[in-house]
Amino acid sequence: RPALRAVIKVTLLKNEPMGKPITLEGLFVGGSAGYAEGKLMQYHPLSLCNTSEDERQESDFITIVKLEHRVRPCLPLLDKARMALDKGAQAVIFDVSDDANAAAELREIDSLPRPVVLVEAEDAEELMGLVNKNEEAKVRIEIMVEQSKWPHYDV
Amino acid sequence: QHKQISGVSSGCQQGGCLTCSDYNGCLSCKPRFFMHLERIGMKQIGVCMTSCPPGFYGTRSPERNTCTKCRLECDSCFNKNFCTRCRAGFYLHLGKCQENCPEGLVRSDTQRECV
Repeated sequence: RPALRAVIKVTLLKNEPMGKPITLEGLFVGGSAGYAEGKLMQYHPLSLCNTSEDERQESDFITIVKLEHRVRPCLPLLDKARMALDKGAQAVIFDVSDDANAAAELREIDSLPRPVVLVEAEDAEELMGLVNKNEEAKVRIEIMVEQSKWPHYDV
Repeated sequence: QHKQISGVSSGCQQGGCLTCSDYNGCLSCKPRFFMHLERIGMKQIGVCMTSCPPGFYGTRSPERNTCTKCRLECDSCFNKNFCTRCRAGFYLHLGKCQENCPEGLVRSDTQRECV
């Protein structure tokens, strides 16, 4: 199927409810299409390696993981995505800016129950910038039917 | 080298860090250090420590030494199956945290143990 565009709308919690969302874009790579919403929550790439009884989030959250080619993968990315969803994430965002192989590894993973989206470059920088400043934000992900602008990604 | 983002409380300056990134903190630790994943609000960064913090135990392996969380009902432990201090409302008996004590023993709330 054509690579689908994911529209990511980000609203800072401190600006709710009137705050105007920042609109970013990503690439939908699988899981149920449609829509997801939750608080942005970063996970270290090494945190999705085993199912240890770690922290439980109270409210709905969306996991973002900045992938690093220097971290030796402990699991295939599909399993990492599944583990994040098993921990309660409403969706998983992978920042692939620094891991060129990740995009190739994550193709058509429709077996997952909720959306998995890739981001890179400015869109990723914006999201990770919020994480770095611990700016709590609510994220809404909508999967668009039309083609994505990621030219180098043919599915 | 990753560009330094101003205002980033980067974990990169720690002594035990071997490889590091501005967003994830430590990615790998020097030998004998443990990798602990610390949650600070919405952020989670890697931190390299000589020993794991309370509530976690250290596991060594050829690939990496990591800190793993004790069981939910356990405040501090040697490993997953041997607790040394229980959470309030649980009582330690033979390294396990239980809500009730076996026959012949009573619950000590101060020590959180079956005595």
